[in-house]
Amino acid sequence: MSVADLARYELAVPRALSEACALLAARVASGEPTLLCAGGTDLLVELGMAPPLAAGARPPLCVDLSRLPELRAVERLERDGARIRIGAGVSYLTLGRHELVQGALPLLARMSHDIGGPTIQARGTLGGNLATGSPAADGVAALAAHDATVVLTSVRGERRVPFAGFQTGYKRSVRQADEIITAFELEPLAPGSPWCWRKVGARQAQAISKVAFAAVAELEGGRARRFGAAMASMAPVTATLPATRALVLGTPLADLDGEALDRAVAADTSPIDDIRSTRAYRAHCARALARGFLRELGAAV
Amino acid sequence: MKIELTVNGVVRTLDLPPLVRLLDVLRGPLGLTGTKEGCGEGECGTCAVLLDGEPVNACLVPIGQCDGRMVVTVEGLAVDGAPGALGRAMAEHGGAQCGICTPGMMISAEALLVARPAPSAAEVRHALGGNLCRCTGYERIVDSVLRAAAARRGAGEVGP
Repeated sequence: MSVADLARYELAVPRALSEACALLAARVASGEPTLLCAGGTDLLVELGMAPPLAAGARPPLCVDLSRLPELRAVERLERDGARIRIGAGVSYLTLGRHELVQGALPLLARMSHDIGGPTIQARGTLGGNLATGSPAADGVAALAAHDATVVLTSVRGERRVPFAGFQTGYKRSVRQADEIITAFELEPLAPGSPWCWRKVGARQAQAISKVAFAAVAELEGGRARRFGAAMASMAPVTATLPATRALVLGTPLADLDGEALDRAVAADTSPIDDIRSTRAYRAHCARALARGFLRELGAAV
Repeated sequence: MKIELTVNGVVRTLDLPPLVRLLDVLRGPLGLTGTKEGCGEGECGTCAVLLDGEPVNACLVPIGQCDGRMVVTVEGLAVDGAPGALGRAMAEHGGAQCGICTPGMMISAEALLVARPAPSAAEVRHALGGNLCRCTGYERIVDSVLRAAAARRGAGEVGP
């Protein structure tokens, strides 16, 4: 533990997004190491567990993102097909209580109650959850199921990346060093449409997922006209389940075959044995969760 | 870094390295040792305090993010220097045994009772989900919070 080293870090506290972007651009241009801090629920743990800093070493500058009003808004984008824009710095506690989120993105609101416990939910943010890059991130699985657009901002402007193109490998992404994850844009779920959030963990609160499953669907004439699904802790990145999605979208629900669904899920995931679970149990859960939701949609699987 | 924050209703001005944990500031310079350190990594909820009314783990909050904000610790839950309904219920109904988790439990319970004066047992369990106890188990803690809620409604007592 090197909690004592925390006293050696400096914190910059920009009050506007443009100020934060300018600072980050200058740091990157001069090659000086920089950390971004939103709710701090991962960062403070990581710094506390990091090896002690060398005697004369200058630690990276920490940039506080918690005072940027641009990262705290939840709004409906009327100009953009009523998509909903969620600031990357909105806490899970706010997200779970937000009327617009509860109504239009019920999976996201429900998931927010399962992140850590209330003390983590009050500080943790969707942006931080994506930025740290853990494949176990519950919030990121929910974003992936909605095919959220990730909004990145830098001095060069705003850039929009579809979720499927954001993660490039274990804890790697297309985010450039001078970019800040500022918001997510999500398509509302048609009222009354089915959705699923299931987290399999050692206990209900304060547990990192062994497997988490997020899915949304909109049905029409015995088929899914919209089907988005993702899993956490099932691959080196958030599993976006392309084969499973293609199978469900391409088959009338009544004709869907359980074993074909199992094969698609298996093709989409690569679970491992680790401290939280086993490859075999994870694979079992993934099959059961996918079949369970498809049964809810009317498939005989 | 200069930081001005309100702790239990008192404005405190500090000059500290900004990434020092709120937990260490409370227990050190501010002398508020009611807040305990458990795991130090956000797993146990023992160091919970209210930050602008929301329960947070003080071990994961850099003091530099607290400028201009309001902190309430377990000391701030006292009423006229004596335990309020929550503290009394914990003591009288077996909600506290070794006592290490109790301040964090009370903070999470306080946040719940301010929002939901008459919670169900399930709501209490959810609100305390981030607080671990290794002594009593949770039955008596949940029971204590429900009894405190009833006492507060009866006495018209409100939180700080």
